Amino acid sequence: MTGAERPQSELDPDETNRSPADPDPAEETTLRTDGGMSDVEREQQIDYLDVEINLLRPATPFMRDHQRVILTGFAIWVLTTFGPITATRLAPGLMTQPMPILQFPLHYFLLAIVGPSSALLLSIWYCRKRDEIDEKYGIKQGIPEAETAESVSEDVTAADGGVSE
Amino acid sequence: MNGATLAADAMALPLQTELLPEGLNISFKLLPAILVIGMMLTFLAAGFLYKVADSDDMWVAGRSIGNVENGMAIGANWMSAASYLGMAALIALSGVYGLAFVVGWTTGYFILLIFLAAQMRRFGKYTAPDFIGDRFNSDTARAIAAITTFLIGFVYALGQARGMGLVGLYILGDPGIPGVTGYQAMMIVFMVITIAYLSLSGMLGATKNMVLQYVILIGAFLVGLLVTGWTAGFSTILPQLEYGVLISELSAEFSAPFAGGSYYLWIATCFSLIFGTCGLPHVLVRFYTVENERVARWSTVWGLFFICLLYLSAPAFAAFGTALYGSEIGAVYGDPGMSSAAGDVIVVLAAQLAGLPSWLVGIVAAGGIAAAVATTAGLFIAASSAISHDIYATIINEDATQRQQVLVGRLSIIAIGALSIVFALDPQQPVAALVSFAFSLAAIVLFPMFFLGLWWENTNRQGALSGMIVGLIVWFIPMFNEGNFGLINGGAGWGIDVLATWMPAIGSGLVGVPIVFAVTIVVSLVTDEPPEKTKMLVRQCHSPDPMDRDVTAAEIVAQKTEDRVTSDDD
Repeated sequence: MTGAERPQSELDPDETNRSPADPDPAEETTLRTDGGMSDVEREQQIDYLDVEINLLRPATPFMRDHQRVILTGFAIWVLTTFGPITATRLAPGLMTQPMPILQFPLHYFLLAIVGPSSALLLSIWYCRKRDEIDEKYGIKQGIPEAETAESVSEDVTAADGGVSE
Repeated sequence: MNGATLAADAMALPLQTELLPEGLNISFKLLPAILVIGMMLTFLAAGFLYKVADSDDMWVAGRSIGNVENGMAIGANWMSAASYLGMAALIALSGVYGLAFVVGWTTGYFILLIFLAAQMRRFGKYTAPDFIGDRFNSDTARAIAAITTFLIGFVYALGQARGMGLVGLYILGDPGIPGVTGYQAMMIVFMVITIAYLSLSGMLGATKNMVLQYVILIGAFLVGLLVTGWTAGFSTILPQLEYGVLISELSAEFSAPFAGGSYYLWIATCFSLIFGTCGLPHVLVRFYTVENERVARWSTVWGLFFICLLYLSAPAFAAFGTALYGSEIGAVYGDPGMSSAAGDVIVVLAAQLAGLPSWLVGIVAAGGIAAAVATTAGLFIAASSAISHDIYATIINEDATQRQQVLVGRLSIIAIGALSIVFALDPQQPVAALVSFAFSLAAIVLFPMFFLGLWWENTNRQGALSGMIVGLIVWFIPMFNEGNFGLINGGAGWGIDVLATWMPAIGSGLVGVPIVFAVTIVVSLVTDEPPEKTKMLVRQCHSPDPMDRDVTAAEIVAQKTEDRVTSDDD
């Protein structure tokens, strides 16, 4: 539906490549050290202010990678969130069987414990994936220079803790 | 709608049923009272220490809050009386239907994380109405969003007020004031304390307190659960998994799949709660307080982790409470069964019925109060900043000084507090249901604006305005139909069955969200595209380039546009 009205010009990634947004010399240097990945090179050329934002049609290599993670996560999330209750509706007999050891009726366990836990695991998975993408494109974030120097060192530890968790 | 008349009506209505949880030990208890009062004083003292007059500090704590701390604040902000008390209540009373709340209120964070958290941080505006006003270039849109924020705060606070009043009964007893029930007296006492505290401190203090409140809250809940399970012989060290054995001993209603609500109702409720989570202004405001969008992401994960600690435990508490109620008070299900008032304090009741000493039960109860106070604080901040910042300073008086803004902010906190007290004098619904009405509203009116606003640059002003107006109407229809808050026919409502079945107020998001999405998209498609500058704003929210602290997307866009003009001139 949103595809219908795609405005003309600048939106094709290839075209965007050739847009005159010249990266500054510093960026060029980091680009070279990146090992010449084509996605990354293309990404460096892009000025995001010229790129159409549409969830269904990612316009840059970075957004494409990110969108893939988002949609994969979303699909799994739909299954873990609405799957158990739907399965219980379809096959109540099977789903209400008690589980070995824990003795939970299966549906109860899937709803009360697996549902919330899988959202948490998916969140960790997503953040890691996103950090990987950031790394791929050389995006540095999380511990700004100024902060390390200041008294906020607690927060910095916290940020690291987040990754290792 | 005439608020004054409504309030007067609510006051004049005879109180048919007094809210009195059966089985609960209602009396003044010294140690629990000291615990609660000491706790409130700590909050006030902390609030006083962080007292600030600068409104920048007041609203987003100068954006200096880190990962775990912000995660805990998200947790405390989130875990209201609805999570602490209301969820166990619904699980005890409605069985598997109650699990829709466990699932909805946790899994929604994943959606928030992948679609909104980081982009919201990049946008860099103070409040949800600010986002909507700037994104859609419209003060009308900003005003509608501000009114919605205020309405959400109000509806949500009713549930908190009910929770405070009921738990207050255990701690302080019924003071026996003529003409006022014990519940009402307690509710008023704790609401006044919350308002007094909030009027004194801004968000910097509130956030520091929320970490403290999270610790108190989760500690009280987990210790209470552990000791209750241990003392009653239900569990040893991991009640969160051990209650499974108990389920087969409870009445079938506790675990039979659709005994407490149909499959459709389950899905509708869960859906509404999930997308309401993503639309709640007081949740989103947490993302403006962090260093950068990576911190926004990871603190969402931490927030969800801290929330899960409680959410994995609540069903265990409900199971223990149900078992103890059944053996010591009477049948939980059927007629009369457990009242909704007793259900709402099932957590405290379970601890009491397990024979724990009153100071230990008092700790559990104090946690319930902390939950209600913390969330009410966050809600009132969001609501009052909607009024002072988005309506007063942006629309009514553009030259408003900081001092004037802070004054208006404080006055609106008092106004929303007073309004909540009046409507919470005789709440018709259990805590979790009251709160879920607010979730439906956030899901229907605000979530589509956030989502489309950030993910489809062609969403325009006309689309947003029509979407939000349709959304508000759609939200009110089931509310009127069911007569919630005694608004229609003295609480009987229109009573249209088909509507009640397919669009229940408790889960109206399932129907409402797609409608608002459709309206917003169609209207945006048939009207002019938004200006290039607005599109750039959206693009900036998705750019992977790191942004400095205290910089908003709008500033970057303005700067870059200027640079381009300059280079063109060359």
